[in-house]
Amino acid sequence: MDPFESIKQTFFQECDELLTDAEQGLLAMESGEADDETINAVFRAVHSVKGGAGAFGLEDLIRFAHVFETVMDEIRSGKMELTDEVAKTLLRAFDVLADHVAAARDGGKVEEGRSQGAYSELRGLIGGEDEEDDLGGGGDEDFGFVPLTLSIEGEEAPGGFIDLDAQNAEAGVEIPATDQASRDELASWTVEFSPKSEMYAKANEAGLVLRELARLGETRVTLIDDTLPPLDQLSAEQAYVSWRIQLFTDSDEASIREVFEFVEDDCNLIISRDRAEPSVAEPADDGLSDDDRAAAASANADLDIAALLARVGGGDADAEPEATPESVAELPPAAPPEAPAEDVAALIARAQSVAAPPAAKPATPAPTPAPVAAAPAAAAAPAAVANAAPAAAASVTIRVDLDRVDRLINAVGELVIQQAMLSQRVLESGLARSSNVALGLEDLELLTREIQDSVMAIRAQPVKSVFQRMPRLAREVADMTGKRVKLVMEGEGTEVDKTVIERLADPITHMLRNAIDHGLEDPEGRAAAGKPAEGLVRLRALHRGGRIVIELQDDGRGINRPRVRGIAVERGLITEDQVLSDEEIDNLIFLPGFSTAEVISDISGRGVGMDVVRRSIQGLGGRISISSEPGKGSKFTMSLPLTLAVLDGMVVTAAEQTLVAPLSAIVESLTPRTEDVHYIGGKDAVIRIRDIFVPLIDVGVALGFRETAIDPASGVAVLVESEGGGKAALLVEAIQGQRQVVIKSLEANYQQIDGVAAATILGDGRVALILDVDALVTTQRRKPAARPSEKRMAS
Amino acid sequence: MSTDTATTADRATVSLAPVLDLQAAEPLRAELMALRGRPLDLDASQVTRMGGLCLQVLMSARKIWSEDGVCLTVDQPSLAFSEQLAAFGGPELQSEPEGELS
Repeated sequence: MDPFESIKQTFFQECDELLTDAEQGLLAMESGEADDETINAVFRAVHSVKGGAGAFGLEDLIRFAHVFETVMDEIRSGKMELTDEVAKTLLRAFDVLADHVAAARDGGKVEEGRSQGAYSELRGLIGGEDEEDDLGGGGDEDFGFVPLTLSIEGEEAPGGFIDLDAQNAEAGVEIPATDQASRDELASWTVEFSPKSEMYAKANEAGLVLRELARLGETRVTLIDDTLPPLDQLSAEQAYVSWRIQLFTDSDEASIREVFEFVEDDCNLIISRDRAEPSVAEPADDGLSDDDRAAAASANADLDIAALLARVGGGDADAEPEATPESVAELPPAAPPEAPAEDVAALIARAQSVAAPPAAKPATPAPTPAPVAAAPAAAAAPAAVANAAPAAAASVTIRVDLDRVDRLINAVGELVIQQAMLSQRVLESGLARSSNVALGLEDLELLTREIQDSVMAIRAQPVKSVFQRMPRLAREVADMTGKRVKLVMEGEGTEVDKTVIERLADPITHMLRNAIDHGLEDPEGRAAAGKPAEGLVRLRALHRGGRIVIELQDDGRGINRPRVRGIAVERGLITEDQVLSDEEIDNLIFLPGFSTAEVISDISGRGVGMDVVRRSIQGLGGRISISSEPGKGSKFTMSLPLTLAVLDGMVVTAAEQTLVAPLSAIVESLTPRTEDVHYIGGKDAVIRIRDIFVPLIDVGVALGFRETAIDPASGVAVLVESEGGGKAALLVEAIQGQRQVVIKSLEANYQQIDGVAAATILGDGRVALILDVDALVTTQRRKPAARPSEKRMAS
Repeated sequence: MSTDTATTADRATVSLAPVLDLQAAEPLRAELMALRGRPLDLDASQVTRMGGLCLQVLMSARKIWSEDGVCLTVDQPSLAFSEQLAAFGGPELQSEPEGELS
């Protein structure tokens, strides 16, 4: 890939994260829960977006981000009061900011009117500044952006854009003043890192540690080699050199220390926070000796160089009035420090512990750091990832191409199948279960399972990526419908397989639209009902029983059951005299073609009904249910498997076919007694299980493998429960056992079949179908003649 | 041996091994020591990984070549080599006494 394009892509990836952070902060500001740090975080996020945009010359984005940032700056400095109106304006403007980022990424432009409207709103908050000033056109603003042309030849994908200035420094290109400004926002730390020989002996690498450190922020690395002997006296496996790293980061000391977690015992480590640069040269009456001051000046030299780079790089000199005098620029690049590393560290520590800032003597600074170079970007090339020692990799994250993970998951899936086949062969060969081979296979099975779980965990992601789109949607729908809504999200960190996440967005989007459009009343209606004018929609994710559950709850009017029932009768979905429970009436809205909206709105009525939502959830092996209380609101509950790759199943035999029932749906299994089985209308069987009657579904018949049902007493009944709470007993000939199976999509390889969710390959190489329990139960319950209400049957 | 050597007249070339880790440090030191006193080109084009110990060997070699007033150069550094060197703080590895280089 074009290296420049690669950096740009990384910038946009970072933008996604920054925008998410900013939006969360803005939401907190809107709800009045924001503290100073939250406001600062939003400012920093927008500032970083602007900084990156500056490097790529994304003019529209820069322009918009700048005015946004200015408003944030006014708020954080206390010049502007954070009112509800300001917060709402910022949130609206944030959506436009996100659009600008998307437009910059995907090409295209944000709708001019919208962008200009939000821009004017922001400017209105700041007051009547001249636009030219605002855009830095006046020349003396601190954000005088000059679009850059980066010249990077033959380099592979570097990492985060935050290291752009490092790249620039190496490539000899200009650095915008904003990068310096960005650095000023971050804390500066000095890390003294002196590896011992033991560290290398344990195959830990200083280079990797330095790389990991660079992931926390911009680093300026100084190598100290004064104890390094000439080659003829060198012991190749002994550690001589050490490093002093100046780190600009918003991470805390614990995070920095974490980088050294695996080498801390095998190195000397000093981590200290630097004080801010002195604004003017202070009087020398600080009780320090000349040596101390010299050492302190040395400690600050890196900062000076950073400031200098910004100045040399075209930043306006006025923008950095506190920068060190020009004479620093004339320093030779690097005479190595003369004092041993430990002494330097001690001196710096002493100098920093004194209250007065070091009175730098810029004209005659003490030993400047040895060659300064920023570590290359950390988003390592694949080879570097593969080479990373566990010590360094354990505490950080890496970006890995999803294709690689998918290939790994597929390979592990095949491994599981092969392992099952091998077990089957061993079993068939007549080897004793206690034989070494069989025991070894058991261990292998455990190991395979562990590998599979670990691999699946790699692809697991928090649902945050889907949830984070919802606040904006809620705002837009609320605006269009004239309603007021507060969206509360919980459990965004709940993890689920990425393949599931990708397919969650549409159903949640649709349900959220529905909840606001149909569920919530307008402010007048709410006032009349004695509710707050602002409606509450709660979106929640949690793990339950090996599945992920997504709940969407509103405090609106609830389902109008008489109306729903009326419509269902009108459309021939139910008969007029049919007796339905409240739950059954509520679930009518999931029937195909059912729509209660008398006027198709732009928001919910896009030709997509709740039946489509349910179908897409079912397509994921999930279930959806609804509970509603008139006047108080409705709650939709989706339950989905954590992964679409593997499934714990009960392997059963029906009509000589081997089938798999998902274990998560199974409540219990039992051998039916003839006296417990009854027939409704002479054909639809129900079975009494303790005090209730549930439909008894012959799986062989339901799937069309045979015409007539078997004698229940000759088979096994597996009691299953659907997400809606409906129970049924699946009648099969025999249970073979429990097994983890690898899911193979039927839709992808063949076509969708009612009652069948997917397929798998068994140990003997044959294909087995995985039952869609919910579909089987629902089909049975919907048959007019087979609607045995549990209550009525039990009475 | 992690490196191979080709000699043209007095000038020697050492191709640095792709992986310059703990195991490579001593062989590299020995190989370089054997070439002491001769102008040396280090071919870094194949390097995919460079650790701290080999870095020390190269820096140390630079010291002694410099003391001897003999030329030591790094040729065709791979991207990985350059990146790693930068991460280490970009120490100077070349020794170019006046008059040695054309």
